[in-house]
Amino acid sequence: MALPEKGKDPFPEAGYELVKQQLFFRKELIERVHWFIRVRWFAVGGAVVGAWVLNLLEPTFPLLPFLLIALGIFLYNLIFLAACRRLDASKGQEVRPFTNFAHIQISLDLLALYAMIFFTGGLYSPLLMFVIFHIMIAGLLLTPLACYTYSFSSLLATAALVGLVQAKILPEQSILLQSSLFPHSLLAGQSMKEVLFLFGFFAAAVLITAFLITTIRRSLWTKGQDLLKISKDLDASNAKLTALYELVKRMGLCSDLQDLLDTATRSVASIMGVKGASIKLLDETRRKLIFSSTYGLSENYLAKGTIDIEKSPINRRIIEGSFVAMGRIDEEDYFQYPEDIRKEGIASMVCLPLRVEKMPLGVFCVYSEISYDFSDSDVKFFSLLSDLTALAIETLRGEINKTWFLQKAAHQLRSPFSAIYSLMKVLRKGYLGPVSEQQQDAMLRCEKRLEMLGTMVNDLLKLGIKRQHQDRAVIRAVNGAKVLRALEELYGSSASEKGVAVDFAVDDSVPELLADEKLLDELFGNLISNAIKYTPPGGKVRVSLAVENEHRVRFEVMDTGIGIPEEDVPRLFTEFFRAENAKAQAEEGTGLGLVIVKEVLDFLGGSISVKSKVGEGTTFTCLLPSV
Amino acid sequence: MAKGADILIIDDDRDLVESIRIVLESRKYGVRTAYNGKEGYQRIQEKSPDLIILDVMMATDTEGFSLAYKLRNNPDYKEIPIIMVTGFTKKMAEAGPEKFQHIMGENWPVTQLLEKPIDPEELLSVIGGVLEETSKG
Repeated sequence: MALPEKGKDPFPEAGYELVKQQLFFRKELIERVHWFIRVRWFAVGGAVVGAWVLNLLEPTFPLLPFLLIALGIFLYNLIFLAACRRLDASKGQEVRPFTNFAHIQISLDLLALYAMIFFTGGLYSPLLMFVIFHIMIAGLLLTPLACYTYSFSSLLATAALVGLVQAKILPEQSILLQSSLFPHSLLAGQSMKEVLFLFGFFAAAVLITAFLITTIRRSLWTKGQDLLKISKDLDASNAKLTALYELVKRMGLCSDLQDLLDTATRSVASIMGVKGASIKLLDETRRKLIFSSTYGLSENYLAKGTIDIEKSPINRRIIEGSFVAMGRIDEEDYFQYPEDIRKEGIASMVCLPLRVEKMPLGVFCVYSEISYDFSDSDVKFFSLLSDLTALAIETLRGEINKTWFLQKAAHQLRSPFSAIYSLMKVLRKGYLGPVSEQQQDAMLRCEKRLEMLGTMVNDLLKLGIKRQHQDRAVIRAVNGAKVLRALEELYGSSASEKGVAVDFAVDDSVPELLADEKLLDELFGNLISNAIKYTPPGGKVRVSLAVENEHRVRFEVMDTGIGIPEEDVPRLFTEFFRAENAKAQAEEGTGLGLVIVKEVLDFLGGSISVKSKVGEGTTFTCLLPSV
Repeated sequence: MAKGADILIIDDDRDLVESIRIVLESRKYGVRTAYNGKEGYQRIQEKSPDLIILDVMMATDTEGFSLAYKLRNNPDYKEIPIIMVTGFTKKMAEAGPEKFQHIMGENWPVTQLLEKPIDPEELLSVIGGVLEETSKG
């Protein structure tokens, strides 16, 4: 991360990571500590029942000491339970109290176990085996050092037990369950060799267990950490992807630049979890940056409005393409208004250029109240967000410019057209003096051509208006059959004048369409008038509306007209395109009708296909979403 | 009063003004011209015309409408019939910018609306009709 050199803690994430990992293992420890307490109740029960059964089988069994030990375990388990509740209530993030608690539990358990071992024959006691699982627990939950410490302590305790009995400091106990391998009483007449032999086995069992457990645990711990890291990375990636998707979706819905910019600043601030964000766009001179949208910053901060790039080295650097991350805002030289930044409570910030294909549009910044709040991956992610924003801005601007241009051009064309046309009529109709028949004829030709020009300009204007107002269209359930009936009246008479038979086959059971009524009217009208236009007298046009499937309704216009040459089909829906044979026909046409059709269909989420054969006719088939 | 009536043409397109003037003068109407709303208002103040032919879009998109409203709200001029000429068809205006939609609503300040390009015969017949109405009224 390109932090300024003054950084004190360049890796703010590291500490946090450690805590997070500790939390993970702490949770396991806490769960186990609770579990031990529950298991211990069974141990108490087991000891009492076991002692009673053994006493029945072998009257010399020391029942009383056993019951006393069980009572001891019962009592300290009660204390553990209380302590555990208090630890839970403290809600501390520390691991240590729980580690200590685990140590106390294991130590006391081992102590109780050794008391039982003493009463059941010391080195010969079958209870000695129970030491092993205490070693396992220590190895699993605590450090390897602790595990080995418990192992050696156990061995020491066993040796001490034998030694103390041998030295007659502790009274000798009867050996309860004699192994057939070592059928002897503990002390009387037994050899030192036998004791050492037994002890050696026990020591080996304990130490091998400790070794195995600590080794396996170390590998498990590493794997656990890896898993933790991977799951964390996955989580983060998922969150980022979701955020990106949301941003793209939200920006995609914006039809107005300001709306888009506001969406970007608001979303990015919330995605990155920072205090605020701002977008400054370059003005026409490309020398000034204008605060175009901000989120989370005060009015005061924005009051200055524009930033002179020459006076703001930091903004110049950003525009030139080097991103800037400020870990701590105290490099006054960088800013034109350092005071304001301090007042705003901004402690760190990242600024990136908004660029499309290396062409800077402006500057995107995010601000945090925390010093060094942005990690390397944060900056990378922000860079992705700002690239997307730049793209969205440029796309929208392109769209706006195009619509604006269409309208402007159409308006500009209209005035001279009107003037020429009016003057032409004045001339031809003899208001300025008599006109010969030949002159009359020539002027009439001019007038016809002018009329075509007029239609074209009108279509352009319509297209512009349509683009601008599609956002306002209201999609709702529309009765397509009804819209078609109205058109039947409109086009029926003009077609019969021309000698073209128009047949409307409208299925009344067709479900309502999900559309805007005006747009639908435009769509149907354009295709029908096109069909009539390009069908010579004596031909037929058939218009039909029928169910295609559950979700779609099929609208079809079939004619026996001039047809469309195969090579022209792919270009049918591009602006100003007219097929060669269509141009050859005297019919006027602007080449915009099908563009409007395509735009409407795109907007409504429909589709269109064309089948045509030159000289035989054309069929346009639209599939429209239905209710 | 139909013949020789005083008609004021207000339009910023001089060619269009000229073509209308030719047509009107051929029918012996008295024609005065103005090329923007302000100038038009001055002509009206000089002498109240019998009829105004007014363009919608001049310096601003609604300059013609502004003048029409101004005249309607002035008791001295509110009786003057106005024929408005526009490049906008009414249909387009409905689909068009909000401001037009608003203007095309109630209190329509215009006696007649004619679409550009203007057909001389249609214009003459509309003028004849409007003047007849006024003289009756």
